[in-house]
Amino acid sequence: MAELIFSNLSKQFDGAPALDRINAQIKSGEFVALLGPSGCGKTTLLRLTAGFEHPSAGEIRIGGQSVAGGGQFVPPEERGIGIVFQSYALWPHKSVSANVSYPLEVRRVPRVERQARVNEALSLTGLSDFAQRMPAQLSGGQRQRVALARCLVFDPRAVLLDEPLANLDLALRASMHEVFSMFHRRTGATMLYVTHDQGEALALADRVAVMESGKIRQFAAPEVLYREPVDCFVAGFVGDGAVVSVRPTGQVDRNGLMLKVLGQEVLSRSATAEPSHVSIRPESITLSDDAPLRARVTGCTYLGGRFRLSLDAAGETLVAFARQRATIGETVGIKLQDLWAFRDPDGTVLMEKVLAYA
Amino acid sequence: MTKTFFAKGSSRSLDRLLPLILLPVALIALGPVVRLLLEGIGFGDGFTTDHLTKVLTRPSTGTALMNSLVTAGGGTLLSVLIGATFAFLVALTDIRGKGALVFCLMVPMMIPPQITALAWMQMAGPSSTLLKLLGLAPPLGSPQPLHSPGGIILLLGIQHASLVFLTLRAGLRMIPADLVEAARMSGAGSLRVWAQIVLPLSMPALIAGGAMAFVTALGNFGIPAMLGIPAGYATLPTLIYQRLVGMGPSVLPEVAVLSLLIGAIAIMGVLFSRSVLSRKGFGLVGLSGTPLALSLGRVRGAVEMALWAFIFVILALPLFALLATSLIPAYGVPLTFNTATFDAWKEVLLIQPGTRRAYGNSLMLATSAATILLLISLPLAWLIQRRPNRLSRILDALIDLPYALPGVVLSIACILTFLNLPFTELTLYGTIWIILLAYLARFFVVMLRPIQASIAQLDPAMEEAAASVGARLGRRLRDVVLPLAAPSAAAGAILVFLTAVNELTVSALLWSSGTETLGVVIYNLEDSGETVMASALAMSIVLLIVLLMGLVQAGAKRLPKGVIPWQS
Ligand SMILES: Nc1ncnc2c1ncn2[C@@H]1O[C@H](COP(=O)(O)OP(=O)(O)OP(=O)(O)O)[C@@H](O)[C@H]1O
Ligand SMILES: [Mg+2]
Repeated sequence: MAELIFSNLSKQFDGAPALDRINAQIKSGEFVALLGPSGCGKTTLLRLTAGFEHPSAGEIRIGGQSVAGGGQFVPPEERGIGIVFQSYALWPHKSVSANVSYPLEVRRVPRVERQARVNEALSLTGLSDFAQRMPAQLSGGQRQRVALARCLVFDPRAVLLDEPLANLDLALRASMHEVFSMFHRRTGATMLYVTHDQGEALALADRVAVMESGKIRQFAAPEVLYREPVDCFVAGFVGDGAVVSVRPTGQVDRNGLMLKVLGQEVLSRSATAEPSHVSIRPESITLSDDAPLRARVTGCTYLGGRFRLSLDAAGETLVAFARQRATIGETVGIKLQDLWAFRDPDGTVLMEKVLAYA
Repeated sequence: MTKTFFAKGSSRSLDRLLPLILLPVALIALGPVVRLLLEGIGFGDGFTTDHLTKVLTRPSTGTALMNSLVTAGGGTLLSVLIGATFAFLVALTDIRGKGALVFCLMVPMMIPPQITALAWMQMAGPSSTLLKLLGLAPPLGSPQPLHSPGGIILLLGIQHASLVFLTLRAGLRMIPADLVEAARMSGAGSLRVWAQIVLPLSMPALIAGGAMAFVTALGNFGIPAMLGIPAGYATLPTLIYQRLVGMGPSVLPEVAVLSLLIGAIAIMGVLFSRSVLSRKGFGLVGLSGTPLALSLGRVRGAVEMALWAFIFVILALPLFALLATSLIPAYGVPLTFNTATFDAWKEVLLIQPGTRRAYGNSLMLATSAATILLLISLPLAWLIQRRPNRLSRILDALIDLPYALPGVVLSIACILTFLNLPFTELTLYGTIWIILLAYLARFFVVMLRPIQASIAQLDPAMEEAAASVGARLGRRLRDVVLPLAAPSAAAGAILVFLTAVNELTVSALLWSSGTETLGVVIYNLEDSGETVMASALAMSIVLLIVLLMGLVQAGAKRLPKGVIPWQS
């Protein structure tokens, strides 16, 4: 297991930037998800780490050794990094057990030990019964697990996964989440997991790096991303809710800033003294008939156990949860509390981008 | 567990060495063509156009050019007629037994032209064993009707009909079925749909196929050599052959000009056909893939009968005639139960040193060419596909040239290049190596394209997965690329073998005593009146070809599209 360090990592394809000065440190044994809209550079970052692409600038270090940048380049076969491809990339002419034992054959592991390690990897992924099958005779989920076993069998220093569940149906995805978590617990491998499904990222990862146009916007634990987004993009991309621009009132409390939000003064948490926006999560909104802030219900969907309301308050669209169904067009009173304020002067531009992705 | 992950050095040496194969490949494949171009402008004696003007203004050049254009043109018309009829019927209608029909139509393309000519000659004329058998032979002394421009046109037309067929059928498959269905819904009958919708839409493919048939007919040597030379009727390829064989290497500068002339016409034809195909003309939208199946109704049986009868006449009948001739004791003797004998077969396969040597040479050349090309093409195709650079792109674009150019052109180019090996006193002319080098250059693309197709279809992630688990380039090529490209490579190798073992045009100009090939020996046997032995030898080759074609056909399901030339 090794830590991964990206410093000022940039990549251009024929002049067009795909990654722009990425700086990140992934601790040994950490499970990190790369989350971002299509085309933001997630796969590119993964392929640079694996050694399939050369960086245009910057450096990559694995376990303290520089593998790319600074005039040197370690090819993929010498990096000791395992990859699970979206297409699985199983070799169709090799049986399941031959696929899994190949990394050990390449390393000239003696036959007896090889057999033992292959069996262990297969049983860990629940594939013992399929050892002699050919990849074409497996279901999607089984193929995925073969790819995982092939990766696990040679004790890679880090495991990279590029949208490993994109080709599977919903039910299978949930069960594969279990497999990945188990895999991570058992091996303690450093894992870098690419996905554009935020549910997957928030559920699986120790930390999530949110990317947008080749940059890492925020790199933090899932709950921090949700509660304390650094800018409009992260606030809009991760989790439900709304982002509204605000004006500071200048009052500072022990518990935060007093802000003017939708005409109301609300106490908000913040990391800056001069915020420009607040993130209003559904949990921050309480419906109450006598509240002065009025909002019109524009949509109501049942989520199981509660309703999700879309509200129009002072021209902004908010999201709230309710126990009872609301009729569209009805007016309700809302109270805001526990908001998170941040500074993002270019915010509106980014909001449009988020909407464009939605 | 501890492991050293960063092994030092050595690892990527193959990565650096591999691109070096581009250079010899470019030299062998393209060097001779470049050398020939230089010869045209007086390479060696300073820049001059003297040869050009001298040769081009000579009357024999004009006659041969005229004859070439007439026979190739006439043959093309016939090819278009046959190929288009088959393509329309096979692709658009509900006739049965399409697979077998197509296979039979393709056999003439794979049978070498001199054998085709020999077989047809056994079917006509006063000495035809078959006609005698049936009591239909014309009186002795009457001329062989095929020794004429008409005969050449007839055989060229049949030989290259499959080219038109394949191009047109591929074009027809692109026509969306719903276009036709829309027309039928508007009340158009089958014939009207064909004339007003299908025919206009398939015109580009038809023209392109015709252009290809023309170029191939223009370069054909075997048919005009067998049928034209006895009648004193020379085309450009036979003129080059006769001059070179008659006068030796001293006429090289002259014949170089002749071959440039025919090469130029061929290139124009190829470019024309490509541009017609790429300028699709119509933006075809809609769901293609649903095969059209216009119902022929009650005439279906009759149409099927007619097609099979035609196949019988162009394929079975000549081969029967060839077989009949191969079974008689001496030319002119009628075939009966009492006269039938395998003597000629025994003679050519077991006794005659000349024919046995030719078999040995041809098999050796074909095997070597197939093996060497197989070994080079795999890494080469991988390089072109995965590590493109300027040289590999140029090579990719031009490697068709030695195959597209008529065989005589390549032969002359090879003689020019290898007559005096650069920087040495050695010559390859007269040795078997010059034939091998010419085969390598000519058949490169036959081997390369199938492998390229299968590597292009290979998900790069397969190789990346192998790299990520620690396999270096050499192992990746061996363990991942090779096994997955193997079916195509095998098909390519068989195709090279098939084409090389029958080759006549190139070896006719490059052989010398001791290095004769099967193609040359058949021609020489017939030339010296040993028709029976020529027939036996030819028949044995036909059997070999059909066997090999069947072998490729049997593996067809595992090959990428476009690998087998007789499928599309
Ligand atoms: N080989 C390449 N050549 C040129 N441009 C490339 C190449 N690979 C990626 N790009 C460009 O780099 C940018 C980032 O691509 P990347 O594949 O990393 O996106 P991604 O975040 O993985 O997207 P997705 O979620 O759709 O897979 C894109 O604009 C893409 O067009
Ligand atoms: Mg991607």
